[in-house]
Amino acid sequence: MTLIKIRKIMSGIILILFILLFVGPEKLSVGLSDILLPFQFVPALVQTITQPEALFIAGLIFIVLITLIFGRVYCSFLCPLGTLQDLLIAGSRRLGLQPKHSFSKPHNSLRYTLLALTFVAILIGSLSLVSLIDPYSLTGRISAHFLQPLIIQTYNLGIMALKPFDLYWYPKQTAFVPLSVLAVTAGFFLLILYLAATRGRLYCNTVCPVGTFLGLLSRVSIFQFTLNQKACSECVRCENVCKAGCIDPQNASIDMSRCIGCFNCLNACSQSTISYQRRQRQTNIDNWSPARRGFIIGGVAAFAAGLLAFNANIRAFLGANSARANPPVTPPGSLNTTRFTQTCTACSLCVSVCPTQVLTPTFMDFGVSGLLQPKMNYEKSFCDYECNVCCKVCPTGALMPLSLDEKKLTQIGEAELLKDICVVFVDHNNCGACGEVCPTHAIRFVDKENILYPEIDKQYCIGCGACQLACPTVPRSIVVHTNAVHKKAEKYPYNLAPPRVTPRPSGGQVITPEKAVEQKKPPNKDFPF
Amino acid sequence: MADTRKFNRREVISKGLSLGLIAGGAVILGKPDFLLAKEKPVGIPDLVAVKNGEPDGMFKKAIELMGGMEQFIKKGQTVVVKPNIGFPRVPEVGATTNPLLIKTIIESCYTAGAKRVYVFDNVVTPTSGNAKNCYKLSGIEDAAKAARGIIVPVDDFSYREVTIPGGKKLKTADVHSLILDCDVFINAPVLKHHSSAHLSIAMKNLMGIVKNRMEYHLTGLDQCIADFCLYRKPDLNIVDAYRVLMSQGPAGPSNPQSANIQMKKTLLMSKDIVAVDAAAARIFGKEPEDIGYIKIAHTQKTGNMNLKELKIVTYAM
Repeated sequence: MTLIKIRKIMSGIILILFILLFVGPEKLSVGLSDILLPFQFVPALVQTITQPEALFIAGLIFIVLITLIFGRVYCSFLCPLGTLQDLLIAGSRRLGLQPKHSFSKPHNSLRYTLLALTFVAILIGSLSLVSLIDPYSLTGRISAHFLQPLIIQTYNLGIMALKPFDLYWYPKQTAFVPLSVLAVTAGFFLLILYLAATRGRLYCNTVCPVGTFLGLLSRVSIFQFTLNQKACSECVRCENVCKAGCIDPQNASIDMSRCIGCFNCLNACSQSTISYQRRQRQTNIDNWSPARRGFIIGGVAAFAAGLLAFNANIRAFLGANSARANPPVTPPGSLNTTRFTQTCTACSLCVSVCPTQVLTPTFMDFGVSGLLQPKMNYEKSFCDYECNVCCKVCPTGALMPLSLDEKKLTQIGEAELLKDICVVFVDHNNCGACGEVCPTHAIRFVDKENILYPEIDKQYCIGCGACQLACPTVPRSIVVHTNAVHKKAEKYPYNLAPPRVTPRPSGGQVITPEKAVEQKKPPNKDFPF
Repeated sequence: MADTRKFNRREVISKGLSLGLIAGGAVILGKPDFLLAKEKPVGIPDLVAVKNGEPDGMFKKAIELMGGMEQFIKKGQTVVVKPNIGFPRVPEVGATTNPLLIKTIIESCYTAGAKRVYVFDNVVTPTSGNAKNCYKLSGIEDAAKAARGIIVPVDDFSYREVTIPGGKKLKTADVHSLILDCDVFINAPVLKHHSSAHLSIAMKNLMGIVKNRMEYHLTGLDQCIADFCLYRKPDLNIVDAYRVLMSQGPAGPSNPQSANIQMKKTLLMSKDIVAVDAAAARIFGKEPEDIGYIKIAHTQKTGNMNLKELKIVTYAM
């Protein structure tokens, strides 16, 4: 089996697993997220910085190590966006759009500047740039915003067709994605489609910060591709198959910083002029000069941006807190708004797995520093009390892996009842839509002449938004305001609620009422009518 | 449509019971029309109440006292059984209808000759994940399937708008097409506490067949609940008061250990939805006239909440 075959099989499997991660059922997604995501560079990096966890640290070390040994094989084997581009490239080759690849000069200033800016942005506390161009997050958004809706709508059409035959399946719903976010995702998707179809892996070698960073490591990797100038007939077969456009047969050089480790050239070379072997000392340093200029430009840009980072006005402009007078509610596990906006790379994985579709990716709701990050959208849905899937799948630590019990007591926001528009207070008619759905009994009803007036016990409220969604008035008479810093809610004291549940003398245990009744008295044979 | 069906059923019942009389005594009396025009056939009680049994046993006894399922279902008819599956709760919480009861009802429908028996409810917060949870957790999906019942998940496309004749606040409703198209509609609610309607029983359960339930909340819950019965009353109401949620309704706590339950072990059955709600209110410990929608429905002549005026058959096991 050739290396190319291994690469195709492995990357193919990983791409399929990624698609399942974003479109598959909840349990599968949770399982896959544990296996796949520690081995994605940006999630592993952000997770390691914010919420060090053994698996993610190991993943990061693994990626760095394989790059230092084998070069940028990550880009050809592990990166789902890379595989997606490879498929597009293969397709466009079949269609004749791009019969051969050719050597191109590196866009050093652009790629190093982007890399530097990305780092600076992270230092200031904004992941916006990473979110936009990181290959994992891009793959996530493309899957969650386009592929998943497509699959779900097809499924729904299918089950509609089965209904006349008395075969019923549960319909599925798709997450709401605002037009502005769709436009951004579509824009990047089209850019990648275009670049892959016409220019090979140009995206990976110009825009992608992961590619550029791993390229720096790959320059000094132990194994390198080398072109033996003496034996080369300059048939350019290797150049024609190089998706990265990094082989220059005329000068007998291979730019290892841009080589994505696809091994196509090894097979193409009829005379075994190209070899993949341990780096020889003399070959490395000379090739530095063109790159160095770009690197310096990038460095200067980073320095300038770094100076700006300490400018208070810029911080305020970028900062999430200035985004709005009423900032959006952040998902459980995010702890506080600032931390959330500084750790979420907007991959939309939580959006795609949320069973109630309450998570909505936003365009600028969190300010410029939090582009595309998701919020709890209580006008569309509510947060299911018995669910913590978003916390389980988040790969960057933006959502901490809260246990279900912790999540049930995490107050992400607080409901406010607007009595001046609530129908019960205005019309003196029973409504109670809010109390009916409140999972924590934070909404109780006060009986005045058989009309039940809602009141909120805020200490029990966890801000799940069920009441806001249920409220029938326009505008809503009950709304959830965000907690900029999440709080702990009080546990509802069921034992204090009207009688019947009796504590066992020995401990805090509660007798099941069924038994209690049976033990106490013989069955009553009277009817109250 | 509903009227036609009611006529058919009444006709059958009347025929069965009256044929002999008509042929024999009634002809001699010379007044056969009198028997056919009578409101209720002889011997069928207005309301049946059974207690101290298990859900399946109590149902079997009650339907026997009611004259058998054949009174309600003819061979080849389609039936809808509408339990309360509004919340993702296990049966022990008492927020949903007892699954064993639902299973027994479906079996009884098929024994009576039903062609198909559908089971469905419009869950309170209908997101895809939640609806599935409600059906599964309540145990009703498995119970219904075990009895060959057809479980129908809710979607947005199955509703048709109908006009409510004489509705004071509820003028139109989007009703699930299964209810509109079925031959027999059996309402199988659970008796439980309700935070904003005091109690949820049979009439309240009918909110689960309409899509525009928020209109009820907006314009007045009690009036709308009563108004809907002006359009369509179920052919039979079977109230599950086996395990009664006494507070924190309608959802109850997710943990059954925290649920304030009373084992009333009672089952009520009636064609009169107001009467059955009134009796259930008493079982709960409340007076029917204190429950807004029961009082309104009584005044709107949907049924009779004065239990003393009714022929009630009780049976304690």
